[in-house]
Amino acid sequence: MYARRLAVCLGTLAALTAAGGAQAEWRDGGEVYDKVCRYCHEANVGPVLKGRALPEEYVRRVVRMGNRAMPAFRPTEIDDATLADVARRINGSEALARE
Amino acid sequence: MVSKSKAKVLPKGVSAADFDKAVREIRAIVGDEHVVVDEDKLAPYRKIMMPVPDDQHELSASVMPDGVEEIQRIMKVANKYRIPVYPVSTGKNLGYGSAAPVQRGQIVMDLRRMNRIIEVDPELCTALVEPGVTYQQLYDYLQEHKLPLWFSCPAPSAIAGPVGNMVDRGVGYTPYGEHFMFSCGMEVVLADGQVLRTGMGAMPNSNTWQVFKWGYGPTLDGMFTQSNYGVVTKMGMWLMPAPPDFRPFCIQYPDEADITKIVEALRPLRIAMVIPNAVVIAHTLWEAPCTPVKRADYYTGPGAIPDEAVKRIQKDHNIGAWNVYAGLYGTKETNDANWKIIEAVAAGTGGKIITQEASKGSQALEYRFDLMKGKPNLGEFGLYNWRGGGGSIWFAPVSQAKGAETLKQMQMAKTILGKYGFDYVGEFIVGWRDMHHVIDLLYDRSNPEQMEKAYACYDELLHTFAKEGYGMYRANTAFAEKVAATYGPVKRDIEKRLKKALDPNNIIAPGRCGISL
Repeated sequence: MYARRLAVCLGTLAALTAAGGAQAEWRDGGEVYDKVCRYCHEANVGPVLKGRALPEEYVRRVVRMGNRAMPAFRPTEIDDATLADVARRINGSEALARE
Repeated sequence: MVSKSKAKVLPKGVSAADFDKAVREIRAIVGDEHVVVDEDKLAPYRKIMMPVPDDQHELSASVMPDGVEEIQRIMKVANKYRIPVYPVSTGKNLGYGSAAPVQRGQIVMDLRRMNRIIEVDPELCTALVEPGVTYQQLYDYLQEHKLPLWFSCPAPSAIAGPVGNMVDRGVGYTPYGEHFMFSCGMEVVLADGQVLRTGMGAMPNSNTWQVFKWGYGPTLDGMFTQSNYGVVTKMGMWLMPAPPDFRPFCIQYPDEADITKIVEALRPLRIAMVIPNAVVIAHTLWEAPCTPVKRADYYTGPGAIPDEAVKRIQKDHNIGAWNVYAGLYGTKETNDANWKIIEAVAAGTGGKIITQEASKGSQALEYRFDLMKGKPNLGEFGLYNWRGGGGSIWFAPVSQAKGAETLKQMQMAKTILGKYGFDYVGEFIVGWRDMHHVIDLLYDRSNPEQMEKAYACYDELLHTFAKEGYGMYRANTAFAEKVAATYGPVKRDIEKRLKKALDPNNIIAPGRCGISL
């Protein structure tokens, strides 16, 4: 996803220099969910999203607009295509297993 | 006259025709898809948590450059049309202004696309990163490359980033918790388009940019923090070797007045670096929402939550009146030796130690322990559920690390907050000799009465504290001017003269930290 992909490892003790400075890109919506959404929405901070068949349009809109304390996310943070994938995955997700 | 421009608002003093011309020229620099003027699409920039109308911080457009050269060219256009641009990096300075501009009509320069980790040197333990890099991204990078290096991050670490946080002089929780102190070397695009590298970076072919801060002559880095003298496009930072043994702990104390003895006991350990990290002393009502405890389960009446209810929360959920978070970072041998000191201090002051083993299952303890080793999470966002409604501004005065001072500040803050019906949700973050007294003024932003009260409350806090000689270490954009004014006229005059010299057309974030022409 990140600069690391193009990073050139010059040996374990040499400086790691990203060739030309690789830009971060999300692998897919699953990675966004794991690295952003999950921190609140599976941690008693925000409501659980999985298993509720939340409409994709609703998810996309809340991510862009924010909602009360939920921050808004810009296309520079999560691009439209990846956000659509996040929304699709949330919409089709199974409910979280209860402990 | 009806403007032809699509922009909902325009920068002050700029005609619609000039604005449109500028936007066209900026589009030619960064590409059409990286300039946004449509009101709907600007929504994510508009989301603020401050107790002022959204309109006050409405932007005219956003531009998303990728690279120093593009920023240099944008500066030329901004100068030509006298259009102010407001740079943001990750834009997650929540409760301090988020990604919205300090003044209505400014064009937000969103640097999030510039998210390259340019270099990590595992021998010297340094990194060089761009403004769009997040702490999570840097964490993943270090993990993937199996580099045993830690950084310090603030609580919203998964979505915030090191450049923006350091530039705003934010703090974190590891031994490198005073973030600006552990930065080393900046690259800055100035308003005239010149590119400055600070410290050793100014010298051609230097390889010491990230290892020696000062260079020759005046050291300039501080000028580009909490200011608007340039656009920071790269920043060096020091990373900490992961210690062979990390021993985080919490010490809980039963009474609010215990803050005095806590600070007196901890200060010597912190100054001598027996405890090397930025110790946090968190109040019950900071811990409760992150546990999580629901406020409504304890109090639904008007005004601030009564002390009696706070006591019940402490008892029901095993939370201290104060909860001290710190860690030992060393080898097993050194930590074993220092642990005896910690145990003796806790016993001597009536504190109850909770170790990492005993913390399992406690959400509040676990996110704190993760932060103390620079592991990103968003556990602290539990705070926002305390009052609900998305209102939050940080009131953050600096205190001496002396017990009587902290007690005085806590009592002053609690009294003023209570007067407006708000709870004291505060913590002290210990520097070496100072404390960042950080209070989250939480309110319901959908409730107009609470909005009004939150604004008035912050205003009274600010001015009452200033009268006692207590200044803010950082402030939200709505109060930038008022906070700057508390630091007196001479400092402001110098800041203005610097602005005039470096940015005579006032195009970089005018109003940021109260600096403008």
